[in-house]
Amino acid sequence: MGARDLSILSLVSLAVFLVPVFLINRRLGLGINRTMITSVVRMCVQLSFVGLYLEFLFRFNSPVLNTVYLLIMISIACQSIVRSSRLRVKKIFIPVFLSLAIPFVVILFFFNAVVVRIDNLFEAKYLIPIGGMLLGNCLRSIIVGLNGFYSGIRKDEKVYLYSLSLLGSRIQALMPYFRENFLAAVTPTLASMATIGLVSLPGMMTGQILGGSIPMVAIKYQIAIMFSIFYTEYFSTILSVLFSLKVGFNSLDVLNRDIFTSKT
Amino acid sequence: MIQFDSVHLKLNNRQIFSGLNFRVREKEKVLIQGKSGIGKTTLFKILLGFEPIDSGTVRFNGLDIVRENIKTIRSQIFYLSQDIDLKNEPVRILLDEINRFNSFKNPDKTHLMDLLDFLELNEKILDQEVKELSGGERQRIGLLICFLLDRPVWLLDEPTSALDDVMKKKMVAYIPARDKTIVIISHDDVWKQNSDLRPDLRPGLRIERWR
Repeated sequence: MGARDLSILSLVSLAVFLVPVFLINRRLGLGINRTMITSVVRMCVQLSFVGLYLEFLFRFNSPVLNTVYLLIMISIACQSIVRSSRLRVKKIFIPVFLSLAIPFVVILFFFNAVVVRIDNLFEAKYLIPIGGMLLGNCLRSIIVGLNGFYSGIRKDEKVYLYSLSLLGSRIQALMPYFRENFLAAVTPTLASMATIGLVSLPGMMTGQILGGSIPMVAIKYQIAIMFSIFYTEYFSTILSVLFSLKVGFNSLDVLNRDIFTSKT
Repeated sequence: MIQFDSVHLKLNNRQIFSGLNFRVREKEKVLIQGKSGIGKTTLFKILLGFEPIDSGTVRFNGLDIVRENIKTIRSQIFYLSQDIDLKNEPVRILLDEINRFNSFKNPDKTHLMDLLDFLELNEKILDQEVKELSGGERQRIGLLICFLLDRPVWLLDEPTSALDDVMKKKMVAYIPARDKTIVIISHDDVWKQNSDLRPDLRPGLRIERWR
């Protein structure tokens, strides 16, 4: 048993509420109508394509195809992280890619092999949606951690250099900037773990219940996924800072300003 | 100890040094003066590896300023920056941290108290955050760290600019009498009045040495 299918017409019917929103936006002079329409259209187009890909991937269920798809997902996530962090793609893409890919692959396969115990580790039905959830969450935490780290040092460069001269070690001089931004990156997940279920039911659980799972099964999956999200975020954020140090600083530990896209 | 040979450096399209030669022997005391913007502070930054040079050689204690040596070099130099760019933390925590990674020569509490006394600082200042300090207090905390660390080479950028006259005179008498290699950048006349200075004139940079 599964959720009832939705007809195209019934989806279109949801757009009806855009009319009053559109009018109110205009009345209040919010100036977001263009953005709103673009976002809605993008959402529909992107998700439709994903639907088509997924149908295709699920039908073939080929390990090679699934892996390629995962690599593409990681690359897109990476691109988006580097852009949002206002760092140069050319310089920082590879360190970010590795820091995302390593924990992601380890946790994802652990999830499939040890937690769910599926026979085919590359089973598209598990690999791709779970992978997507992990990546989506890491995206935010790496952006916060990495961007905060580099922009913090950039803003505070004199203080950083001065601690370098006093403490002598780069790691020690960098530690306060790392600590501050790492906490900002992982705290939201810890906070959401602490309130989950009290306020909102997570999307994955809702989906599973609609899809026919009994609530207890859905909850077990939710717990497993929360653990996995936290671990992936935690390690990929640490690694993103660690792996980027080589391009972020010169051989004498001074910040390389050419890793930033903007001058200020 | 410190050796600059035909150093060239261009910063933001401005030629700062074109063939600078400058040497400081061990235990020598040197005063550098000159208009702002002629690269006095840059000399210090080059030695600490914060500013790369375009050509020439710079050596510290015979060591090139490169990755393999930079830790050793930095651990021998105490640098007092013009704005004393300390992290904004309570002074006590800063001192603890610096001590943890360098270990002060004399970590005794009485030694610390003596130095505080000498710099006319109240013990309560240890619980204040760096941001709350006045310019003069920050400068004296910088000097306190200098005396506690007791490194062999001191690079002091305007060490007395925010001090009152009594304290200035005290420092002018105290600092050059230390058994260290010391380079001071200062516009302050109190340093010039020190009669032991031997002028060593160079275009732009005015360098004087204590005999």
